[in-house]
Amino acid sequence: MKQKTFFVFVAPSLLMMLIFIAIPLVSVFIQSFYVTQNVYETVVVETCTPSFPTSICEKTEKTVPLLDENNTPITQTVFVGLDTYRAVLEPEKAVQLIRSGQFFDIFTDIDFYKALRFTLMFTLITLPLVIGVGLLIALTVNNVAQNIKGPVIFISLLPFIITPVIGALSIKWLFIGDGLLTRALESLIGQEIAMFAQGWTIELLMMFYRVWHVAPFAFVIFYAGLQSVNQDTLESAVIDGASRFERVRYVIIPHLMPLIYFIALIHLMDTYRVFEEIIGFSSEAHVISLQWLTFDFLEPDDTGNRAISRASASSMLTMIGIILLLIPVLNRTLRDQKKG
Amino acid sequence: MAQIQLKNICKRWGSTTGVKDFSLDIADREFIVFLGPSGCGKTTTMRMIAGLEDPTEGEIYIGDTCVNGLEPKDRDIAMVFQSYGLYPNLTVYENIRFPLKIRKVAAETHDSRVRKAADMVELGPLLDRYPKELSGGQRQRVALARAIVREPNVFLMDEPLSNLDAKLRVSTRAQIKHLQHSLQTTTIYVTHDQIEAMTLADRVVVMSMGELQQLGTPTEIYDTPANTFVAGFIGSPAMNLLDGKIIDGKFVTEHTQIDQLPSGLPDAVTIGFRAEDIQVTIPTDQHDTANSEGHIFAPVYSVEMLGDSTLISIKVGQALLIAKAEKTFRAEIGQTVSFIVPPEARHWFSKENGARISV
Repeated sequence: MKQKTFFVFVAPSLLMMLIFIAIPLVSVFIQSFYVTQNVYETVVVETCTPSFPTSICEKTEKTVPLLDENNTPITQTVFVGLDTYRAVLEPEKAVQLIRSGQFFDIFTDIDFYKALRFTLMFTLITLPLVIGVGLLIALTVNNVAQNIKGPVIFISLLPFIITPVIGALSIKWLFIGDGLLTRALESLIGQEIAMFAQGWTIELLMMFYRVWHVAPFAFVIFYAGLQSVNQDTLESAVIDGASRFERVRYVIIPHLMPLIYFIALIHLMDTYRVFEEIIGFSSEAHVISLQWLTFDFLEPDDTGNRAISRASASSMLTMIGIILLLIPVLNRTLRDQKKG
Repeated sequence: MAQIQLKNICKRWGSTTGVKDFSLDIADREFIVFLGPSGCGKTTTMRMIAGLEDPTEGEIYIGDTCVNGLEPKDRDIAMVFQSYGLYPNLTVYENIRFPLKIRKVAAETHDSRVRKAADMVELGPLLDRYPKELSGGQRQRVALARAIVREPNVFLMDEPLSNLDAKLRVSTRAQIKHLQHSLQTTTIYVTHDQIEAMTLADRVVVMSMGELQQLGTPTEIYDTPANTFVAGFIGSPAMNLLDGKIIDGKFVTEHTQIDQLPSGLPDAVTIGFRAEDIQVTIPTDQHDTANSEGHIFAPVYSVEMLGDSTLISIKVGQALLIAKAEKTFRAEIGQTVSFIVPPEARHWFSKENGARISV
């Protein structure tokens, strides 16, 4: 393809990426170094209390927002450098906790680290599970009889079709106090179960939900990959004496490796932005994620103000986290591509 | 001991039959080639011996053991595939070592066995390479080394040379023949290439439509084909086959009158003769051939110079007859030529069922 033709072909996509990804990203980056606040002025206010024979008046200085001609508070944006990041990361509080020997309290007392812990744990635990379960479903479907393949594929894909928040709510309703599964489990083990009374059980349910929801995506990709496994290589392994597990290990997994990297990349990017589960499971009191933290900063506080700068800083930190997680996978992918 | 016995093997998929009532005895250390066109059942038969397909009926014996119920790994066979079947993520060394590792053969013997197998197929300097860094011929040699490293009782080779270019095919063919001779291992080789079959085999099994057409040494197959299918399949060019009738003691058809026939031929027969057995001449009178010597007179359809000979083809009815003439022989397309078919070069087949008629 000629360079010019190629450019004309990709130009619309590049333009859209510039407008909807690059510019907002740069704007958020810049915004994270600025704070927009009301302009205040100091005024002398005289307060008089009725008395005899004359009123007693007292003059005090007060700070009030400066208003424009429409009585709207005037705002100004000031450069604050890394202060917003400091406000999010709270390094002083973190150092203080470490010095006082309460290292693990960082992950409960400071919102950012609390969110980071859950986000990282959620991402790193669900990643192998999604790949493993997806591969298992793909291998199973690939080996079922031809005439039931269609229905099995349809049923396997159902969780992926369901809207995330609705899916999370369904799981929540199944496990709440008088939920169907809670009741069933209680009658089975003869003990009361409260899945939403503590953080770790909620986290467990969230991970279960995410694997249940995303594994079908991995399954579809792996199933497509399985159709191109070299049958001669597979049969060579059979003749060489490889068991089913060894065939998967030595033939199928190496063949699917590029797809495993692909799933890993997509899943890391997607899961690090975990949000729907927090809303669906209403877990804010116990468990929060980085994406939810950004959302929380953007929510108006009691005085109606939104912490846009802190939200920007939190977004940038989330993005840095994603990049750091992606680097090893990208590195490996590039190395494999160079090899051949 | 690794003689192989196939007893009334059948393979059916629903209403489709792949192999019909196939029986065969293969001697220990024999090199046998299954030959036939695509879809004739040769690969299916080999896969049943390997255990990759289950026979619908019949029994397969390797040595004295009926292997019908055995897994492929328990049949003590090794197989070489058309597209090599190598493990792309393993080096040549690891590929060759794989069967030893999987079968948990004593680890201290691996290195020497791998190197010995690699040396036998001249792969010594390539052990650290990955399959993608090798040529087609080298890959096939890795597959061969992987097959021989375990020293199995039987080698199965499924069209191992089909993916190679013509020159490489010749050298690899020689290498396979040499390996089989030095290893003395029973070998079953599947191919649709009759030259491979003729050059490699101790005996050839010619198959068509899932049935055995003829079993014999390459010479037997070539010199006395059992039917018109074998006659038309073996040889390059294949045997000329011409349908005709016996009238007044002569074989007669369009442009053709052949006399000096053996006795006992039915009225409707097919005559067969090989291209190299025909004498080709150009009649002096192109318009009146009545006084010229020859059995078939027809205009030249094509002339092909092969270097060591010249192929002259003529059309008789729907049949294209080819004669192999001297390399200096020249004729123009459309020029009438005469084919003389000596009595000893004639093969007779029933027109009804294609079977050879012994005369």
